[in-house]
Amino acid sequence: MAEMDTSSKGGGKHGGGKRAKKGSTRVDLTAMVDLGFLLITFFMLATTMNKPKTMEINKPIEEPEDNKPPEIPMSKTLSLLLGDNDKVYWYVSPDEVTSTTKIEMDSIDYSPNGVRRIIKRRQKEVMEKYGADKKDELFVMIKPLPGSKLKNTVDVLDEMSINDVKRYAILEASDAIDSLVAKQVGQKRK
Amino acid sequence: MPKVKIPRKSTAVDMTAMCDVAFLLLTFFILTTKFKPTEAVQVDIPPSVAQFPLPDKDILKFELAKDGKMYFGLDDQNTRLNLLNTLDETYKLNLTPLQKDAFRTLDIWGMDIKALPAFLSLSATDRAAFKQPGLNIDTLGGEHQVEDLILFSRQANNNLRIAIKGDRATQYKDFDKLIVALKNRKVNRFNIITSAKAPIVVK
Repeated sequence: MAEMDTSSKGGGKHGGGKRAKKGSTRVDLTAMVDLGFLLITFFMLATTMNKPKTMEINKPIEEPEDNKPPEIPMSKTLSLLLGDNDKVYWYVSPDEVTSTTKIEMDSIDYSPNGVRRIIKRRQKEVMEKYGADKKDELFVMIKPLPGSKLKNTVDVLDEMSINDVKRYAILEASDAIDSLVAKQVGQKRK
Repeated sequence: MPKVKIPRKSTAVDMTAMCDVAFLLLTFFILTTKFKPTEAVQVDIPPSVAQFPLPDKDILKFELAKDGKMYFGLDDQNTRLNLLNTLDETYKLNLTPLQKDAFRTLDIWGMDIKALPAFLSLSATDRAAFKQPGLNIDTLGGEHQVEDLILFSRQANNNLRIAIKGDRATQYKDFDKLIVALKNRKVNRFNIITSAKAPIVVK
């Protein structure tokens, strides 16, 4: 695509006189435009446009005297044990342990039908037991086992924000029930 | 009958304006973007629905690779130098100005602090090729290297925000070591770097 001289004078005949041809001063810019867009494409692909997001984690400040978690009735809690192979084990600790106490526990996954359903269910149960305005009282104890992946922790923390769980904490799986559950399902606790 | 001659017009378009636009955009992209920083290891960050963007400056970054190896990075070169001076004193590294200058440009590193002088003496290409073994997080022998790094960095820059860039497949036990180190230095707030993801909505 060479530039043509379009500035000729109307195609009229002019009488004979041989003049030196005036070369056009226009330069073909097509190639330059090509190069420009090529570089733009390169920069767009080589650079990170979307900045990474972060998830803020606040750990409770540990006070030397009381190592115990705050006193919350166990019926307001939900414990999630994160195991390896993308498994979650949930249970609800009973308020009081007697010889007839049965603990409900199950293994679920990280899909919306797993963790989210349990959280929703527990929120409803807390509301039924303590009143409709007590939805935020549910306390979720997240206890990652050593074999769980970082992704699992992030997924569960995501569920907390999706389901609007106001109270949750990442804790060590140090409870007696934790070790029992971990042993039952064959996961290492330490 | 007279022949009607349609004048043939040139098909060439004036490219000047287009060229201007192209280079204007190019300049814009060059000036606004930041290149991906060098990585000690490849880290595949987990997706999350979190919306909070990572701040541009005052970042102390820990990278946790899939195999549990840990790497350390500071974003600001002055903070890096301040940190190195404290490390030099505490660990008696006897660094030369040349080694210090090499540390200043080090985006991310992970090795025993005592192995730093030898690493910093390498040429730039050798450094890039060097397989870094990861930070020494063992608290055996009374050394708390990771805790020292946290403490000294915060002394160098009080406004540091701690960001953890972990691979999605990093095991929790490796992550926990870092959390314990942070907790021992009274850091109770930190950020996990994630990539954006839209939540799955189920009705």
